[in-house]
Amino acid sequence: MWWKITSVVLLVYTIIAGFLVPLKSGIERVEPQAAQTGEQTTIRFFGYNTFFARPSDEPLRVWLYYNDQYALYAKTVRPLNDTILEATFSLPVNLPDGKPFVLLNALVDHPTAGASLLPAALTLRQADTLSAPLDPAWTQTPVEQLHVQKGFSFPYQNILYETIRNTYFHVPMWFVLLFLFAASVWYSVKYLRRPEPDLDRYAAAYAEVGILFGLLGLVSGMVWANYTWGRPWSNDIKQLMTAVALLVYMAYFILRGSFSDPEKSARLAAVYNIFAFASLIPLLYILPRMFDSLHPGATGNPAFGTQDLDNTMRAVFYPAIIGWTLLGFWIADLRTRYQRLHDRAMGVD
Amino acid sequence: MNWRSLLPLLHKEMVLEWRQRYALSGIVLYVVSMVFVVYVASVKPTPPMWNTLFWLIVLFASINAVVKSFVRESGARQLYYYQLADPAALVLAKVLYNALLLLVLSGLASVAFALVADSPVQRWPLFLGTLALGSASFSIAFTFISAIAAKADHGATLVAILSFPVVLPMLLTLLRLSAASFAPEGMPLDTWADVRNLLAVDAILIALVFVLFPYIWRD
Repeated sequence: MWWKITSVVLLVYTIIAGFLVPLKSGIERVEPQAAQTGEQTTIRFFGYNTFFARPSDEPLRVWLYYNDQYALYAKTVRPLNDTILEATFSLPVNLPDGKPFVLLNALVDHPTAGASLLPAALTLRQADTLSAPLDPAWTQTPVEQLHVQKGFSFPYQNILYETIRNTYFHVPMWFVLLFLFAASVWYSVKYLRRPEPDLDRYAAAYAEVGILFGLLGLVSGMVWANYTWGRPWSNDIKQLMTAVALLVYMAYFILRGSFSDPEKSARLAAVYNIFAFASLIPLLYILPRMFDSLHPGATGNPAFGTQDLDNTMRAVFYPAIIGWTLLGFWIADLRTRYQRLHDRAMGVD
Repeated sequence: MNWRSLLPLLHKEMVLEWRQRYALSGIVLYVVSMVFVVYVASVKPTPPMWNTLFWLIVLFASINAVVKSFVRESGARQLYYYQLADPAALVLAKVLYNALLLLVLSGLASVAFALVADSPVQRWPLFLGTLALGSASFSIAFTFISAIAAKADHGATLVAILSFPVVLPMLLTLLRLSAASFAPEGMPLDTWADVRNLLAVDAILIALVFVLFPYIWRD
């Protein structure tokens, strides 16, 4: 009983926190995206979830940021409205290390919304070759004393925007699928050791609900991929592996249905379940590390990187996994009880 | 397990195959006609296409070759064998025999395919090693699943449904390995990880065959 309540509480928390917590302020783009050295230039910063125009006691500070050593500070900053900001720079006459061009990151520091960064926002080109000592503008006002937003918010990421909330609904499906299939195999092993129809019902129910969660994960992933990768299906290795796992368990149900003797059906299905799980799961873990993937995490590490999940997201993500897992086991439990009553009514048990 | 019965059982499989030559020649003809279909259909396959077509031919030839393992002889005679010899030795003999058969078939397929479509293979040792690994993997998975499916009423179609998703991850790894064998000599390659993964999965599966087979053969 307690775990069913836990499941409901965690899922309600996941849905409320997952949908209502705002994103951090971010910079969508800057205009123009290229400039030349030595110019006086006005650059427009387009913000997302920002409130540039809201009055505050401290000034809004804007940098074009090359690295820890070199950054250009805006001379004047003028917010047009909450999401558009005009900053004037007098660009230096030359570039660090005598490079022909550098990619600068845009950095806006707001006293209450905190600092937001857009990587590689602007290309700065060297107007004509000049071997003078480096312009002091690069080091005059270093990036320091950045503000951190107070309160609970999810990270802003270009491309993802608000879809980052899908992390709490799409990603746990994969965890639940693995837990349910593992539980199904566990009951298959138990059935082979002690052939009781109830153990077989559990194995079948866990596999069934596992397929349901696999389909949900696939569909929620395809909707997400449609917005972020541009199309719902890109033959990504993880998409393929999920489809294969679903095919295996659909085959498991076809095998169950192809015997008239329930004892024989349960025994051979249990054998197939164990065999298929053992051949599938090691490669399901290994293969995504061997192939390139569009999923987060570089090749060689299919999990989330440390930068993909910050602490506020963890505070929702981990409860979401537990909540969805408990829900999956709850549905499987109900399915088993239904099947048990059904078999009893039909006089099979 | 009684290992002494292994060799006579292996011998039995070979003699049986040799006496029913139509099955063997049927599979060989199947490989040749598949290769010919590719020759008729496609003008000049690129290396990735060659790879895919080749492994498709091998996959379907393998499943056709292995599917008869447990349905060739009547149920009563199988029961008789299980009394004579250890069932584990019997299934191991079938796995070994099928692995050899698949190795010969895939070798034949690669020669036939190289004749009609120029083979892009540059590193023959790696390619032959891939064929051997593929034959072993397919043999274990298909033999065991055909043992399960033989208990059902319409086994032959069931084998394909049950085994394709199981071998698909192995097939992906095999495709990578054989694609690596197209790289020119002297280019550094890291194939060890793939080989190791396949060997590990094969080891797990052969262990499971021993553990699970007693639950299949008894009726």
